[in-house]
Amino acid sequence: MVLHALNPAARAAGLRRGQGQADALAMIPHLVCRPADPAADARALEALAIWAERWSPSVSLDASPDGLEGLFLDITGAGHLFGGERALLDRIRDRLAEAGIAARAAAAPTPGAAWALARWSDPEGRPPVVGQDRLRERLAELPLEALRLDAAALAQARRFGLKRIGDLYAMPRAGLARRFRGAGGLDLVRRLDQALGHEGEALTPVRPPARYRAWQAFAEPLGDLAGVEARLPALADDLAAALERDGQGARRLTLTGFRTDGGAPALSIRTGRPGRDAAVWLRLFREAGLGRLELGFGVDALMLAAAEVEPLAVRQAALHDEAAARQAEDLAALVDRLSARLGPDRVLTPETADSWIPERAERWRPALAGPAAALEGEPGRRPILLFDPPEPVEAIAELPDGAPARFTWRRLSRRVIRADGPERLSPEWWRPAADRRAIRTRDYYRVEDEAGGRYWLFREGLYGREYGGGEGERAPSWWMHGVLP
Amino acid sequence: MSLPSLASPELFPAAAAPLEEACAPLPRDVAGALLFALSRRPAEDDRPVLMALPRAWLGEYGRPYAPGLAGPPPILAPVATPAEALWALEQGLRSGAVSLALGAVEEATLAQSRRLDFAARHGRAVGVTLSRRLDGLSAARRRWRISSRVGEGDRDDPRAPGPARFSVELVRSRGERPGVWILEQDDETHRLRLADRLAGLRPAAVAGAGVRSGLAA
Repeated sequence: MVLHALNPAARAAGLRRGQGQADALAMIPHLVCRPADPAADARALEALAIWAERWSPSVSLDASPDGLEGLFLDITGAGHLFGGERALLDRIRDRLAEAGIAARAAAAPTPGAAWALARWSDPEGRPPVVGQDRLRERLAELPLEALRLDAAALAQARRFGLKRIGDLYAMPRAGLARRFRGAGGLDLVRRLDQALGHEGEALTPVRPPARYRAWQAFAEPLGDLAGVEARLPALADDLAAALERDGQGARRLTLTGFRTDGGAPALSIRTGRPGRDAAVWLRLFREAGLGRLELGFGVDALMLAAAEVEPLAVRQAALHDEAAARQAEDLAALVDRLSARLGPDRVLTPETADSWIPERAERWRPALAGPAAALEGEPGRRPILLFDPPEPVEAIAELPDGAPARFTWRRLSRRVIRADGPERLSPEWWRPAADRRAIRTRDYYRVEDEAGGRYWLFREGLYGREYGGGEGERAPSWWMHGVLP
Repeated sequence: MSLPSLASPELFPAAAAPLEEACAPLPRDVAGALLFALSRRPAEDDRPVLMALPRAWLGEYGRPYAPGLAGPPPILAPVATPAEALWALEQGLRSGAVSLALGAVEEATLAQSRRLDFAARHGRAVGVTLSRRLDGLSAARRRWRISSRVGEGDRDDPRAPGPARFSVELVRSRGERPGVWILEQDDETHRLRLADRLAGLRPAAVAGAGVRSGLAA
């Protein structure tokens, strides 16, 4: 068992990461040890990354192996929003300290340089902010470990007497490339190029950044929903203005609250058609329930992001009739409102599918996905209410394919006075059966009983062809599939 | 030729009031009540139909089956609670985007049904509530009781079931006399209309339903 992470006091006492636990306890008997949980650490880092989205739309994880994890925040072009990059780094560090996380920050033109400067800067001093002009000389004074090399490359470099990054500047590139080939092909020269900006480095953000965001930070955390509701219209107007500038409309919006204790609860709404009407969005958020945002001890920043945008400038040309256009708008707005409160999968419209098996002939899909198609079916010959799955029935019928004369369903026995059928539906032989039993032909009958009730029954399995009365064969069975009016 | 005495001489009120209630006393009449509710939509109004049905209701009586429905495309909202059903009905009626909004609500208070009535007038739509019992006060202008009846055989094959037939009883109405009518499903529009072939139907067929008829509400 080795030490995975240490606090500053332990480090000051001389312990090192990777040292054996027994060794460490021998040095410091009163050392407090806890089992490491790397999975929980990774999850906590991801949650922190999402919380850090209040400062940057693109936050990436830096899972460094030495136990000092970090985050990369892309703050390109956003420095002025926070009063300068230096002020932003101060604020980030203070904010993390408030949440109980001691952090070091640095800003640089490349991820590699920022990584190096953050780890090798003075923890008490101000976070360094280095521009492209001074990058080379600032990096020169840092040790070679700051280039994210693996242990083998570091050992070899030390044998060559290379200790600082500045020592590498004078070396011939071809020689360095030949001698220092690290794991995964990331050799010394490539890391140096990445740090200096001669080669790019791709970072994967923890969540895909939304193109349109409006956010606002508050000096005093908002403790209740009234505060959130009061600030939401301003955010919605900002976002609508940004969308209008580019001729886009949003179809999905997410409201994220950044809590003081590091959580980031979010609430989403969807609309059937792209739009940028702030009043409609506010109404949909209210229907969806702003109470679902758990504010905890308070929220000190709110962000409204448009996750799905579509061009709005071009209207559908098919609806040339103004009344029809207004009717379609009203219907889309109704579907949006119902879906916001009940859930998108609880507002459904039917779609005919290409199958003659009755339970597969129709499919109910969310109405948000698009307007409903016209009904095409056989209203006289098909039930208006279907049981899915069909319910078992005991029936007495003439063999081989007579209609039932009497049947028992839901513990009531009924006598049939009129019947029509059989309508024979053969199975879709190209579909594999769910439970390995052969699917058999169904004979459907429309029956009317002595009380006027009308039902749609079927018998599955044909006497003669599919059932010979042998041992181990299932006898054909009767089922109730639907109720005709 | 005069109608037999079992059907009321008054005209059947085909034009629906803004809010009506259809009650199916027995489980086998529920499908008939659904068809009756769908037939309350004015024939020339082709705006979609909203159905707000609780999931318990769908499990018990089955879910609407699109190949068996006729008319404009339906929107189904499988709600969880009666409160959600009432809310969805009100939203649908008020929006003006649907022609008919029907929901299965068992016990709506007078205030709730009055809200539905106002919403239906505002959106120029028809609202129908389906229930199993007709007790309690309601702001519905008309309250119906639907019962299945044995119908005539099919015109071409007497052994096959013909058009569906129901007796609908106007139990309570403001400004109209109660009455009983026999309705049948039309072959082409698949809506319910007054039955035209009543020859051979004896008065006992109506009285023998076993359900208390008359001014029950």
